[in-house]
Amino acid sequence: MENIVLEARNITKYFPGILANDHINFDLYSKEVHTLLGENGAGKTTLVNIFDGLYYPNEGEVYVNGKIANINSPLDAMKFGIGMIHQHFMLVDTLTVVENVVLGFQKQGFRLDNNSIVKKIQEISEQYNLKVNPYAKIWQLSVGEQQRVEIIKMLYRGANILILDEPTAVLTPQEIDSLFLIINKIKSDGKSVIFISHKLEEVLKVSDRITVLKKGKVVGTVNKEHATEKELALMMVGREVLFRFDRKPTADGKDILKIENLEGYNDRGVKRLKGVNLTVKSGEIFGIAGVAGNGQEELAESITGLRKSSKGKIFIGSCESTNLLPSRILKKGVNYIPADRIRTGLIPNLSSVDNAILRCYMRKPISNTFTVNFTKAKDYANKIITEFNIMVPRLDAPVKLLSGGNMQKLLLAREILEEPILLIAVHPTRGLDIGATELVRKKLIEARDKGAAVLLISEDLDEIIMLSDRIGVIYDGKIVGLVDSKNAQINNIGLMMGGSKNLNVQKG
Amino acid sequence: MLRFEKRENVSTKLKMFIPLLSIMIGLLIGAIAILFAKINPLMAYKAILVGAFGSKYTFTETLVFATPLILISVGLILVFKMNFWNIGAYGQYILGAILSSYFALFLPTNIPKLLLLTIMTLAGLLGGALWALIPAVLKAYWDVNEVISTLLLNYVALYILQYFMYGPWRDPRSHGFPLSKMFADNAQLPKIIANSRVHLGLIFGIVAAFIVWFLIKKTKLGYETRIIGGSKEAAHYAGINVPKDIIIAMMISGALAGLAGMAQISGVIHLLQIQINPDYGYTAIIAAWLSYLEPFTAIIVSILLGALAAGGYQIQITMQVPFGIISVIESVILFTLIGSEILLRYTIHLEKRRKT
Ligand SMILES: Nc1ncnc2c1ncn2[C@@H]1O[C@H](COP(=O)(O)OP(=O)(O)O)[C@@H](O)[C@H]1O
Ligand SMILES: [Mg+2]
Repeated sequence: MENIVLEARNITKYFPGILANDHINFDLYSKEVHTLLGENGAGKTTLVNIFDGLYYPNEGEVYVNGKIANINSPLDAMKFGIGMIHQHFMLVDTLTVVENVVLGFQKQGFRLDNNSIVKKIQEISEQYNLKVNPYAKIWQLSVGEQQRVEIIKMLYRGANILILDEPTAVLTPQEIDSLFLIINKIKSDGKSVIFISHKLEEVLKVSDRITVLKKGKVVGTVNKEHATEKELALMMVGREVLFRFDRKPTADGKDILKIENLEGYNDRGVKRLKGVNLTVKSGEIFGIAGVAGNGQEELAESITGLRKSSKGKIFIGSCESTNLLPSRILKKGVNYIPADRIRTGLIPNLSSVDNAILRCYMRKPISNTFTVNFTKAKDYANKIITEFNIMVPRLDAPVKLLSGGNMQKLLLAREILEEPILLIAVHPTRGLDIGATELVRKKLIEARDKGAAVLLISEDLDEIIMLSDRIGVIYDGKIVGLVDSKNAQINNIGLMMGGSKNLNVQKG
Repeated sequence: MLRFEKRENVSTKLKMFIPLLSIMIGLLIGAIAILFAKINPLMAYKAILVGAFGSKYTFTETLVFATPLILISVGLILVFKMNFWNIGAYGQYILGAILSSYFALFLPTNIPKLLLLTIMTLAGLLGGALWALIPAVLKAYWDVNEVISTLLLNYVALYILQYFMYGPWRDPRSHGFPLSKMFADNAQLPKIIANSRVHLGLIFGIVAAFIVWFLIKKTKLGYETRIIGGSKEAAHYAGINVPKDIIIAMMISGALAGLAGMAQISGVIHLLQIQINPDYGYTAIIAAWLSYLEPFTAIIVSILLGALAAGGYQIQITMQVPFGIISVIESVILFTLIGSEILLRYTIHLEKRRKT
């Protein structure tokens, strides 16, 4: 009854030393959302890059509408109606939405016929609920809006098959919900979608069929109706996965971090912290729940000295540390896993060794007054890598060659092995596969059990509830509620995350 | 049909191939330019080779041209590593020359040679360093784009040189030419190869390469430069004092360019004039790039570019080929080098279209 719009037969793709796709068969029906599910490094991106003409398979063919398709570039792919939205967006920051949509696509002449383009963009926006201002510059838009621009761009160019590579990794729960609405609209309009993710819950929500990849091979394809989270996890990881962790009972430690009436601004001069008060004790995980953009990252940056606060006080141990230099705060034993791992936490073009010593290169035994002892640095990197089972091609290979999970393990290992008295972790498992997520969570709990104070900031409410001893809900730059995780109720926290106003409306 | 594929890994072979390719293309386009001068390019290139390596003497001339390139390029490597684009070696070179000339011209002529040369060396280093300090401070504290500030300061430096040459430092016996008086013997760097113009500056260059190599590979400063070059955010996160590092690295870079200026006037020209070849400041950028920011490779590349210049002067005299051709070749090399970045980021496949 359904016809196949896209088919991959026996696709094999090698990279130097890696078999990224191993005789993969995959098909996509019209009016279908077909998900590729797999851990990081499973070969999902490679496969769809082949569909998009960025990579060319070593073996196998791609068929579009039953005919063999020779796709040599994304422009070719577009001719076959295939449009891909990459994990990292391909937009020009300084241009407007309209300019980005037509960039490299408009054929007729030099001058743009702005009016008709804008009209068409608006039609597409309305039809698929893709709200965005066509005249805004890309840098002015949130990540969610930028993603909508990418979708509009592809639809404008007449894509019939839309590929979304881990689109939810950068979105808030609300944005994810509206993305799913958009996907359903696109589907009901007769188009097909290839969706990529490694989050089971959302995969079950949006897909019709699910194909699980592991180490470059297809493990199996299942219909949504017959799939459960547990089963998919087993297919994906190849073993049972822990959804629960053992931990010591909550200790009554002494106050390590104390914040009083903290206020501060973001880079654009908007006030983002409007009087935060909280205390984190040694031996506990204090989770901060909240919708993205309510001041979480500014809070973490203020504590670590990366951002100046305008008012209020921060105490670490018993000493005030408000607006100290980052190096001074690091010296006090505060370590930090930033949300932006790939540019702030790690330097993608540098080696594992250079990255491993980022936080301790200034001290003995890694360095003397002027020189760095790179033999010791190498030993240290080796220690981290073995202890956390991090897969690296070579010690001196740039870390950008590592998978996302291995990068995060390296970052986490570096920060945790310093044995901090206070560890701040922001979105520590965002974008990680199940295996790596499990390890990161286990290590955070280990640090807590050893007596560290852990401040955990995450948008994943399940994670917060799973790991925290106490939970603070942040909304509009303030902690609006404190909950003991033993009697935490997701509904209540969810309401507080929407703001106390909503609570009042409920009561009223 | 050309197909581009993204790549993550770059093999050493390819890294060798790209500079060679750039040089080939540079020579090819140079050949076309030479053709316009109605001269057989093969003959011209042969003459360049002979002019650069043909005899012991010509090879020493190559080394003379290479000396300032080595000094400047290894200094540039240090700041290029931190993504600080110092285009201002031209001006730093001039200031080094001016400041060291001051001591050569105005200290009593009877002070010991070693003392005077030490003073002049320090003055060369200081002149370049101070000139480099301006854009460094502007960048470190006000985030002023260094490409623009260093470039503009080159003009200022040139005007300062012109001021001294047409004004107070002009030798009254120069018949109106913008020249200073000749340096006394105790202001001249000693030769290190007999019967040649090769002077102590070459040793300075090799020592400088070693120092820069050591800084980059072994020291905290070198490590921090790598971090700053890799990601500003990460440098901030690691607690690195970025402004301080920019200033130190830039002063070292400027000091070496200034030393090149000092060595050139003290070792080769023996007086201060308007033509002191500050263009080495631009050619050294090419040397730094061609060497992939490796100080010892920069020595070899500088010698090759020195050969091109030495041979270029030869053919200008013997074959009436304008020296501008050499600049054309150099610029095309740089251009190709930057363009071939694409080879580092993509693999390119040439293949027939499959039947569909
Ligand atoms: N351009 C490339 N060069 C070398 N190896 C690559 C390249 N792209 C991907 N890989 C490797 O191929 C494997 C599959 O990667 P990828 O398709 O990105 O996985 P996924 O998207 O499922 O996380 C990984 O081991 C990755 O390191
Ligand atoms: Mg991927």
